[in-house]
Amino acid sequence: MEYAVETFSLTKIFSDWWGRAKVYAVDDLNLQIKKNEVFGLLGPNGSGKSTTIKMLLGLLHPTKGKAVVLGGDGTDPKINSRIGFLPEESYLYKYLNARETLDFYGRLFGLPSELRKMRVEALLDMVGLKAVANRSVGTYSKGMARRIGLAQALINDPELLILDEPTTGLDPIGTRQIKDLILKLAQRGKTILLCSHLLADVEDVCDRIAILYGGKIQTQGRVRELLQQTNKIQITTEAISDATVQKIERLIKDEQAECEIASPLDKLESFFIRTVAAAQQQAQPTSGAVSTTKIGGFLVEESPVEKILDKLVSAPLTEKAVQKEPMTEKVVQDESLASGPDEHLLTELTGSPETSVSKPVAKEEKVEEESAESQQVPQKEQIRKDILDRLTDTSSPPQKDDRQKENS
Amino acid sequence: MRSIWAVAKNTIKQALRMKVAVVFIVLLLVLLPVLGMTTTGDETLKGRLQTFVSYGLSLTSLLLCILTIIVSVYTVTSDIKHRQIYTVVTKPIRRYQFLLGKLFGIMMLDVILLALFSAFIYAYAVYMPKKYKADHKENPQVSNEITQVNNEFFTARAALVIPEIDVTREVNERYQELKGMDRLPDLPYEQIISELTEQAKVRKRTSNIGQKLIWEFDNVKPLTKSMFIRFKYDVAVTPPDMQVFGMWYAGDPNYVKYGQQPETPYYENILRHSVQTFHEIEFPANVVPKSGHLAIAFMNIYPNNTSIIFPDDGLAVLYKADTFTANFVRAVFLILFRLFFLACLGILASTFVSFPVAILMCLVLFSTAAISGFVIESFDSLSSDLNIFYSYSIKWMIRFLPQFDKFSPTEFIVSARLLSWSILARCAVSMVFIKSFILLALSFIIFRYREIAKIIV
Repeated sequence: MEYAVETFSLTKIFSDWWGRAKVYAVDDLNLQIKKNEVFGLLGPNGSGKSTTIKMLLGLLHPTKGKAVVLGGDGTDPKINSRIGFLPEESYLYKYLNARETLDFYGRLFGLPSELRKMRVEALLDMVGLKAVANRSVGTYSKGMARRIGLAQALINDPELLILDEPTTGLDPIGTRQIKDLILKLAQRGKTILLCSHLLADVEDVCDRIAILYGGKIQTQGRVRELLQQTNKIQITTEAISDATVQKIERLIKDEQAECEIASPLDKLESFFIRTVAAAQQQAQPTSGAVSTTKIGGFLVEESPVEKILDKLVSAPLTEKAVQKEPMTEKVVQDESLASGPDEHLLTELTGSPETSVSKPVAKEEKVEEESAESQQVPQKEQIRKDILDRLTDTSSPPQKDDRQKENS
Repeated sequence: MRSIWAVAKNTIKQALRMKVAVVFIVLLLVLLPVLGMTTTGDETLKGRLQTFVSYGLSLTSLLLCILTIIVSVYTVTSDIKHRQIYTVVTKPIRRYQFLLGKLFGIMMLDVILLALFSAFIYAYAVYMPKKYKADHKENPQVSNEITQVNNEFFTARAALVIPEIDVTREVNERYQELKGMDRLPDLPYEQIISELTEQAKVRKRTSNIGQKLIWEFDNVKPLTKSMFIRFKYDVAVTPPDMQVFGMWYAGDPNYVKYGQQPETPYYENILRHSVQTFHEIEFPANVVPKSGHLAIAFMNIYPNNTSIIFPDDGLAVLYKADTFTANFVRAVFLILFRLFFLACLGILASTFVSFPVAILMCLVLFSTAAISGFVIESFDSLSSDLNIFYSYSIKWMIRFLPQFDKFSPTEFIVSARLLSWSILARCAVSMVFIKSFILLALSFIIFRYREIAKIIV
């Protein structure tokens, strides 16, 4: 089958002034991203994720090898018109306001004026910046700039969306929204290449991932297959009586197996979104981005007629999205519990919505950085094991005082 | 096309909102009116007009040139430095279209500003005589001055071509003579000849007391009622009052040369003029004989006690060929061609070097182009020493520079010289269609193959 993105021995060597090879940023990379797939490109800082993306789009020339994007060259305008790209930071023209910015990008795609206007408004609405759309983007906070950056990548309703760390600087609602958007777009048959080191985000949305280190793929595969612990089984039930619980415990003990019993915790993300949604309902004022969970009509509607497609029919996804339980939730939950006191996290998240999604992820990244920075390059197997261990680590049980808090 | 237009529009917004252009616009808005109110020239109306238009056009041209260099370099390098270009060139736009968009934006800004400021200069120049008339109602000289201004400023006059005087024979004779007397200086042959040639040419332009100088013109077709002799005197000994007398003649050459009574009337007059500045004498066009063979003669007469030398460009015969307005518009086009070249230069520079280096490079080239005549001359005079190296490298490079001083708009306007369509076309071909095109093609090639993204590992 034809791949949306395919690379053949893609190599990028950065050489010094004299032309001597200095760094292998990407080394003999063979990547295959199928159509209609959400693909996550993971890796510590400096592992070659952004370099790979830039080579796909022709911003950097490969030293060796070749990249095929949507069956063509990433610098061909015909191919470009089917791609949406969000670089690692939202590089915006500071002197333009949000509306002008989107209008400018719409013009680059040669969208007819009526369609362009409609899309600009729909996207402004979607990223929650309609109220501040006439302010120059130079005055925007990082998260707000990120939202405009994302809107910019969506203006052509792209077939292939390349997102380089899309959630950096976004508040949890924005993050959640991007994740919902990615899933929605995937449902509509779009291909998404997501590049991030925020593992929680990747885990929630990606079908397949590849982990890069030193410009090489260390491991790749389906998220579910990579993360599933085949030697463990988890049972989740409605609230049942203590007697039944003891019965089950006894049955398990009979099989000489260990077991833990606890009430599952709600995801902090869901909790946070509920809190903010409640505040929004009371119409408390904010000068920042208004977090809607709407998704631009033209992106979700699957009408063949372009005009109708672009009508501002935005499906309110709020409740559905919040209730939807990603299948790997348990693992994530345990991660966050293991990494720090819940209360601290909560105040931090609710106090400043601009901080990144959750602390444990940041911590995880740090660990990876350290391993990347320690000069003696560890064995690949070792790293892979280390990362995977962390991703699948469920050993730490929920603590007692947490449960008490939950009850009170 | 739509995407080029989008980039162009964005470039204009950038130039205006990042306040790069605003500084220059404000400067011109302040300086031009001040210039208009303060210039006095030599106190005559013509002097005033010449000074104002000359300063006004030069200032506008200079500031817009610098503005063009800065904006064109800034707009490209800033997009690369601040990486907005990542999201632009990954859209369906080719790299050359991106640069074209930038160029269009800059040129649109230039056209608007140039039109605005030159319109102001034009309007003020046209208004000046009216104001002068109103201010000096009691002065009887005013109407004379107005006529003079209409004849010598608000017009576009073409010059008759002065035939080259052949002095080879004289030079050779003189050389043989010196050789015979064994008084040749100890110099190479070429140098002696070139010095003798120079001397001979100056002799041809020198009039000792009582000596007559004659210039002859062929195929003169008078188009208007009057014609003008424009001249400048240099003198061997400066008279105390800086004034010398001269007898001027215009008419049939046979009369002035052989004393034959001509069929057509002729012009003859004794006039007193100051030295070392340009003056003009008006004479009726009906003195031109039917054959179209016209002679202009000058005689250095008593009571002068010095010989008079006409400098190289010291004499011209002029006639009205077009209107001031048309000439002015064409002069403004000369400025526009200049700006186009500089915009292309700025874009080329910024495709491979960073902002400060590109600015420096453009400014150096700009100032060299502004004195290209001098540069070419001085390199040519050195060329005997650096022959091969020079003719294959620097000479080529200098020839490639546009000659801003050769196509100087103010010189045409101030002396009311006709800036013909053919001169304008020559300038357009050389500056825009050849040189700018090469610059642009180079920048397209460089930009096409360079890596846009910065190296981050």
